[in-house]
Amino acid sequence: MSAITEAPIVASVVSHVPWWRGKLVQVGAIIGVMWLAYSGWKADYPWPNELVWNNLELRLDAIQAYLIDTRLEGDGGVVFTLFDGFRLFADNLVTWFNDLLIWLTWIGTTVVGTLLAWRFGGLRAGAWALAAFASFALSGLWAESMETLALMLAAVGLSILVGVPLGIAAGRSARFNRALRPFLDAAQIIPAFAYLMPVVLFFSIGYAAAVVATMIYAIPPCIRITALGIRRVPVNTVEAAASMGATGSQMLLKVQLPMSRRMLLLGLNQTILFALSMVVIAGLIGGGGLGAVVNNGLTTNPALAILAGIVIVIMAMALDRITEAVADRTDPTKRHLDTAARRRLRVESIVVAAASIGTVVVAKAVGVSGDFPDLAGVRQRTVTAQEWLLGQIQKVLDYVADPTTWVFQITEAVGNFILTKLLLPLQAFLVEAPWFTTLAGLVLIAFVVSGLRPAITTFFMLFLIGFIGVWALAMDTLSQVLVATIMAVILGFGLGVWASESRTVSGVMRPVNDVMQTLPQLVYIIPFIYLMPVSIVPGIVAAVLYAFPVVVRLVERGIKDVAPQSVEAAGAFGATRWQILRKVKIPLAGDAIMLGVNQGIIMVLAVVVIGGLVGSGGLGYEVAQGLVRGQFGQGVIASIAILALGIALDRVTQGARQARKEEVA
Amino acid sequence: MRQSSVSHVNSNSKEGRMSNRHRGTGVGLAVLAVAAAALIAVAAAAAGGTRQAACGDVILNENSWTGSTANVYVVKNVLENKLKCKVKVLNITENQPSFQAMADGKIDVVLEDWDNTLVPSNKKYVTSKSVINVGGNGITGVIGWYIPRYVLKQYPSFKTWKGLKGKESVFKSPESGSQGMFLGGDPSYVQKGRALIEELGLNLKHVVAGAESAQVARWTQLYKQKKPVLFYWYDPQYLNAAYDLVRVQLPKRFKGCLDDEKLKGKHACEYPSYGLDKLVSGEFAKSGSPALKVIKKFSWTSADQNFVANLISGKKMPKDKAAAAWVAKNKAKVNAWLK
Repeated sequence: MSAITEAPIVASVVSHVPWWRGKLVQVGAIIGVMWLAYSGWKADYPWPNELVWNNLELRLDAIQAYLIDTRLEGDGGVVFTLFDGFRLFADNLVTWFNDLLIWLTWIGTTVVGTLLAWRFGGLRAGAWALAAFASFALSGLWAESMETLALMLAAVGLSILVGVPLGIAAGRSARFNRALRPFLDAAQIIPAFAYLMPVVLFFSIGYAAAVVATMIYAIPPCIRITALGIRRVPVNTVEAAASMGATGSQMLLKVQLPMSRRMLLLGLNQTILFALSMVVIAGLIGGGGLGAVVNNGLTTNPALAILAGIVIVIMAMALDRITEAVADRTDPTKRHLDTAARRRLRVESIVVAAASIGTVVVAKAVGVSGDFPDLAGVRQRTVTAQEWLLGQIQKVLDYVADPTTWVFQITEAVGNFILTKLLLPLQAFLVEAPWFTTLAGLVLIAFVVSGLRPAITTFFMLFLIGFIGVWALAMDTLSQVLVATIMAVILGFGLGVWASESRTVSGVMRPVNDVMQTLPQLVYIIPFIYLMPVSIVPGIVAAVLYAFPVVVRLVERGIKDVAPQSVEAAGAFGATRWQILRKVKIPLAGDAIMLGVNQGIIMVLAVVVIGGLVGSGGLGYEVAQGLVRGQFGQGVIASIAILALGIALDRVTQGARQARKEEVA
Repeated sequence: MRQSSVSHVNSNSKEGRMSNRHRGTGVGLAVLAVAAAALIAVAAAAAGGTRQAACGDVILNENSWTGSTANVYVVKNVLENKLKCKVKVLNITENQPSFQAMADGKIDVVLEDWDNTLVPSNKKYVTSKSVINVGGNGITGVIGWYIPRYVLKQYPSFKTWKGLKGKESVFKSPESGSQGMFLGGDPSYVQKGRALIEELGLNLKHVVAGAESAQVARWTQLYKQKKPVLFYWYDPQYLNAAYDLVRVQLPKRFKGCLDDEKLKGKHACEYPSYGLDKLVSGEFAKSGSPALKVIKKFSWTSADQNFVANLISGKKMPKDKAAAAWVAKNKAKVNAWLK
């Protein structure tokens, strides 16, 4: 209920024309009618069986059976042979990285990694590298960290290799961009759980499968941000270059790529973070390393799972900060090298090379092992801080799991309140209202909020959901997605605006965002369930925490990028800071803000499966069950429904953005 | 082995040529040759000895429940210490992914399979002999509806499902309204909670709790507060040692009673008991590895498994150490696997 009525209010903050009153009233009226229908015919009209494609699941299962048969018969034809080639390549690549990291010995890897980061990224980058290696060693998870690091180096490298060219193409051709977009939406929204089975069939289990699953999720942001960067190169610059007779490749290499440099780097950073957020899922199909520790630890030793999760976050942040620092230092616009500086860099290079080789040679000669600590087993627990760390984490877990504390008294009551007063009524409203009033109502709301085209899309997507037989489950999930999205947008918008105005907040938010994007959700949501032992709420919390960082980032970036002339002009007229923010900056950053909303929706949908694993039920549970019970069709159908919800929500918010633009104009 | 026999031939032929030229040193050389031959023989014998026990690499798959971890690490301990195998442990998720892994030779052994071989989409793996069932691991898996013993004490009629009837509201929670709450199990387990509730005509609301760790969080919080709770659960499970749980009797099994909620028909009966099977990959079965014999013989009890699982998950002992502790205490059982 409130979910739907609040959405336009958020939009109204941005705009200052009173048109929204009319829309709000209309939406309210539609919901009112839906509510009447719901109270009158509660659960009387579920989606009719005549309108369901009943055989779909069997058909999909047959595809799976066909694939398995073909695979097991050995001669899989061209397709399997092609996939086999990539499998060997990716397997070997990761194995090679991993072997190299082990061969260098733990001292060697640390020294080489730190020195390289220092040479190319400066002191801070070096410090990040050293801190990361120290955390791998202290946590007693060195070998696992190396395996994950090798996997991520390969996955990120290959993602960039595929993503950047596609992104450039999409940036230069609007048609290609449009053609690519549905695939990007699908790759980001369809839960990995749904495609793990085909991935395993084509690539078996192991590094290759893990790399593929990671790439599917990490490539879309790389493409999107690269394309955005190319498109944002000012038109007059491109025209100037063209008028001077620049060829296509000159335009790309000398104008478009250098000028979108910062955006390309943001793409690299997001690729790294997205890839690292797949470590745990990759662990299910042979990625090993820290992901396997998290998966196994969740049931056998939660403290260890949390520790491994923290190590994943540190690895992500270190990779992110180091690549950023390297990019910053090699930025040609900032680098003005004189002969002295050149000489100093050359000396640094020689020192780094000599120290690296020297350390590795000495370490190999002395017999330092690839794993830390050297004497695995017996002395492990005294050399590393693992035991102490696990003890500390366990203390927190024990406190959290104790229902006699005052914290529990509060959290339990809050959880029960949110569930019974907000989520369950909304769920019942969407699930139990007659299907035709819900369908008509949602389509009408889409029409009122954003126009005809999004309304048509919404109709087809909702009908598709009913047609594949998951109407009730999808409405259940929709109720949760709406609540989570609204919370993520409000939280992200507020923090994003604040961060854009305050350096301190911005500085605090960045690591918080990184942690929330890469810490495996299950490691903190399972302990959270002890505090709030109800269904649905933990899943919503996971979704909000995963989605709001994107909103913060885009809102902050958008407001900061508002042209300074506009701000100065407003200042000259004597506008206060608050007025400038409200009347100038936020309206001018509208595009970035709405993009943040869209990305927020996508991220919320991306963790629907996690919700299913922590008691949210709905489509997420179906997808998870599809994988673990070998019911391919079930997983695919639920995933299609999640994708359909995503497309409908995305087009409606996109449309709202368009509609508002027109009104403002 | 092959290396040493080649060098043996070489040294003989060299010695033969030399003896023609220098008779005087012949005796010394002969002695040396004999010594060398003896050495080689000893080395060969030693090599032969180790070859007999040489076991090479064995890849075990550890699943996400602690019982599976207990199986894997005890077998790992035995294979490493008694047969000098190189054991690698993987963590591939169960069902199709791990079956495909076995077909591809990436996993050799699964030590506890809960009837995944019967899942229709997995049949091909079994019929093509990519995955071979090598018998039970000695444990019988039990699935059912469980309540804490303190609830049974207060309501003795809850011993059977009939006693629940009319008193379902004892299990009510904020999210089930006036109905009683039934907590469903992990999505990977066989379940028919909804069908049972409907067909038995119970006034319960089926609440999905999610993955096992999430479900455990739910019911243990209620247990600690001594509140009533009714939930899907199973045995062997190490938590059953720490929490005193009782199984509610469901109607007896009858012919044609189904266990898969998705199939149309009658489900109103107890879950079957599961003989938990050991699976090996087709490749491993053909390899003639001595580890195969041990794995075929490996069998223990729920109590054994719970003991190790409790050390690992309850006492937070490192997995290898926990396995070693059990092996040290149960020499007779281990020796039976080695015979």
